[in-house]
Amino acid sequence: MTERIRLLKAFQWERKHHAYRHPVPEGIEDGYRKAEYTDVMRSALRLKAALDSETPVLLDGEMIAFTRTLKNLPAIFTDAEWEKIKSEHYIHELGNVSNLSPDYGRIIKSGLLPLLERLNDSEEHRAMRIGINSVLGLAERYAQEARRRGLTELAETLKRVPAYGARTFREALQSLRILHYAMWCEGDYHNTLGRFDQYMMPYLESDLAQGRETPESAFELLEAFFLSCNRDSDLYPGMQQGDNGQSIVLGGMTPEGGDGFNLLSEMCLKACGELKLIDPKINLRVNKDTPLRVFELGTQLTKLGLGFPQYENDDTAIPALERLGYAREDARNYAMAACWEFIIPGRGMEIPNIGALPFANTVDAVIREKLTSCADIEELKAAAEKEIYRRVREAVQACSNLYVIPSPYLSLFFDGCVENSKDISLGCTYNNWGLHGTGLAPAADMLAAVEQTVFTGSVKAEELLSAMKANFEGYDELRDLLKNRCPKMGNDDDAADKYACWLLEVFSKAVEGLKNERGGIVRAGTGSAMYYIFHANELGATADGRVQGVPLPANYAPSLNIKLNGPVSLIKSFTKPDLTRTINGGPLTIEFSESVFTQSDSITKVAQLVQLFVKRGGHQLQLNTVNRERLLDAQQHPENYRNLIVRVWGWSGYFVELDKCYQDHIIRRAELLI
Amino acid sequence: MKTGIVFDIKEFAVFDGPGIRTTVFMKGCPLRCTWCHNPEGLSPEPQLMVSTAACTHCGACRAVCPSPDRCTACGKCIPACRGGFRKISGQRFTSEELAKRLIKDRDVYEMSGGGVTFSGGEPLMQWEFVSEVFARLGGVHKAIETSGFSADGVFSSAMRETDLIMLDWKVSDPALHKKYTGASQEPIRRHAEMLALGSTPFILRLPIIPEVNDKRAHFEAAAELVAHAKALVRVEILPYQPAAGAKYAMVGREYRPGFDEKKPLKYFTEVFDERNIPYRIFK
Repeated sequence: MTERIRLLKAFQWERKHHAYRHPVPEGIEDGYRKAEYTDVMRSALRLKAALDSETPVLLDGEMIAFTRTLKNLPAIFTDAEWEKIKSEHYIHELGNVSNLSPDYGRIIKSGLLPLLERLNDSEEHRAMRIGINSVLGLAERYAQEARRRGLTELAETLKRVPAYGARTFREALQSLRILHYAMWCEGDYHNTLGRFDQYMMPYLESDLAQGRETPESAFELLEAFFLSCNRDSDLYPGMQQGDNGQSIVLGGMTPEGGDGFNLLSEMCLKACGELKLIDPKINLRVNKDTPLRVFELGTQLTKLGLGFPQYENDDTAIPALERLGYAREDARNYAMAACWEFIIPGRGMEIPNIGALPFANTVDAVIREKLTSCADIEELKAAAEKEIYRRVREAVQACSNLYVIPSPYLSLFFDGCVENSKDISLGCTYNNWGLHGTGLAPAADMLAAVEQTVFTGSVKAEELLSAMKANFEGYDELRDLLKNRCPKMGNDDDAADKYACWLLEVFSKAVEGLKNERGGIVRAGTGSAMYYIFHANELGATADGRVQGVPLPANYAPSLNIKLNGPVSLIKSFTKPDLTRTINGGPLTIEFSESVFTQSDSITKVAQLVQLFVKRGGHQLQLNTVNRERLLDAQQHPENYRNLIVRVWGWSGYFVELDKCYQDHIIRRAELLI
Repeated sequence: MKTGIVFDIKEFAVFDGPGIRTTVFMKGCPLRCTWCHNPEGLSPEPQLMVSTAACTHCGACRAVCPSPDRCTACGKCIPACRGGFRKISGQRFTSEELAKRLIKDRDVYEMSGGGVTFSGGEPLMQWEFVSEVFARLGGVHKAIETSGFSADGVFSSAMRETDLIMLDWKVSDPALHKKYTGASQEPIRRHAEMLALGSTPFILRLPIIPEVNDKRAHFEAAAELVAHAKALVRVEILPYQPAAGAKYAMVGREYRPGFDEKKPLKYFTEVFDERNIPYRIFK
């Protein structure tokens, strides 16, 4: 890390740039919230008002400019207007365009000015023109400020981009910074940086070839750009700080079928490891032939406890997307939404998180209602299948008459919006919706437990139901049998895993042939987002021996509070289902103790585990290195951390089984490691 | 068919040999090292373990206990504990069952250059069983972690049937060895010499305990043992860390190591450098 980057990082880390922030000027909304303006026009005028209110700020040593000074963004509708819209429409999340991957690469290459020539007098085009001019106006003011400060190189760069196409790596990064920055100022959120190493590599390549940059100077620019991604993220909307969708995708197959992992991919991994910041989050696309070295580079980041990279497996994802009807070159070009949904850059106005199928709640309801009347497990499965079909339809129907707040500026980055004078909020090439599937493992465990007990005759259906109703109070033996002696998904035991395979298959069939109101299809997935919290709250005690109040696992993961064999069995279990049928997204998450990494060859071993997942047809994997906060929470709630393994000395133990003084010892050690 | 008692099976045991490995912990040990961190591995019999740190003292276990004066490891209290904080350590396996459990991950061992490790307790205490499991594992890479305390015949069979032996060398002075481990050093030295002369790849492991063996003479004796060993992979130095006593309360015992746990450790790794012996220090 150069001294310049170190200083910039320290400045930003200490939040000194917050001093430049100010609230929006009073009455700013009166300019665009007029009854006679369409929603498209309001959105454009608000972007203009926001960008016009920005004061150029150049930090010392600045290489990639743009710092947000506006603290907030007033809504484009009055409360009354918004209430009316909500009463007439389905509104997804905050109502804005979110979770897409804009085709930044195309505009970086062409610049914004040439787009102006293609705009006519339609309302949509006028709105797009306002957006372009506002962005260019702010860039011009930044250029003036740079000139005034004597920052000639920055001033020259800003004179060029984003008005015209970028010619160098520096120009391309600067262009991306303002293009992405303006997206936030339009009120759009969770939109990602997409396949950064693919669209940026040509600039880096030509700079290096022609000697404009050295590998070191280019690396410094890259780090300056990554730093800028962390500068304003506390002002962006999200469920939690850091939940902002600023992710990039590295590697993976190119649309033409080549291998996209390049020098820049590697530089990005290295820069993230050096900066140790939360943005940009990395998705690393891999396949069965990806060299072990690439997995090792990724594992170096896992070791730091950053929570990324998240791995996506091309061998599973690409055929799966093609099967859903995506064109081959689009399937090969997939990127990730804010969390882990598979989306297509520049061509999708998809809502991959519009709803969820709660597997655990569905199976639980069927057990409660039908168990006594079912003669065998097949009858119970038939009832569950019927209920899954019903709930899937219900979830899709609940989202009718969708309204999305227009985003004329963001529309510029999507295929066909300029050509057809159409706002992105109304749709694009792909308009598919996705449903998460929460609580899969507990649902599979419930079916396995019922098969092993009720349908072998060892436990009466009535007894099981009474025990569940009593939250297992007075049924200790039965609870122990269900929880500790029945098969569990995650232990490489077909007796439980077969139900997970079956449930996912049913889910994928249930969405087959469904159309949403925009003509798109419905995709089934293995994610949970925050739905698993809601779904767990609605559950009582369950047939897998889980008592009321124990949370459901997040995403594609085993039940909490059960004894697991370890990561090898876990990967084997979770790669048994045909994941090409449930490619909406949702990763298997595995947590490691930091202590696993105390030996140098552990990097290779963890990388080999990831490779195992990929070779066995997994779709998505996330590895965490356990940190202090988690350990502290484990002390408070040991029941949720039964499988948390920590290295104590020449041995590993289960954290919650250790005496408190030793737990404290390990927490202290974790403090030192951070 | 033989049966054996196992107190844990750990997948992805990254500290127990090359590649991705599964380690089987065999119950029972003839030594009583005062610093032992696996007290549940000492007795050859199944026994009750309680997570005393997590216990809420609700009393449900006492209400169902048929033998409150002396635990018989009957396991009746286990379902009664709502938190799941009690378990029986020690499960009997037939060699066939255990081999089946291990060989299912053969693909993973092969792709990673890993395999299976038997540790303990002392795996050679149940060698006939371990040997039978080994025979059922075919070409899987097999390792043992041993104190070296066994009959000579057992140790020679182990050398023949194992791909990697990790031998602990605890205390070089015979009298102090007896004092701190409760066992004679004699067979262990003999077996270390057998390894040094033999062709079975081996690692010599030195647990370094403050005041007990962080001495130049001990490092030198260890280095002399393996200085001319052709099959030595390396020496591994395992520094004592003050968490060794963590599991004693769980088996109802008190940890009394008999040395000052907090004393900084001294290393004399130059004795290995001088002799060109490869070594690694575990953190």
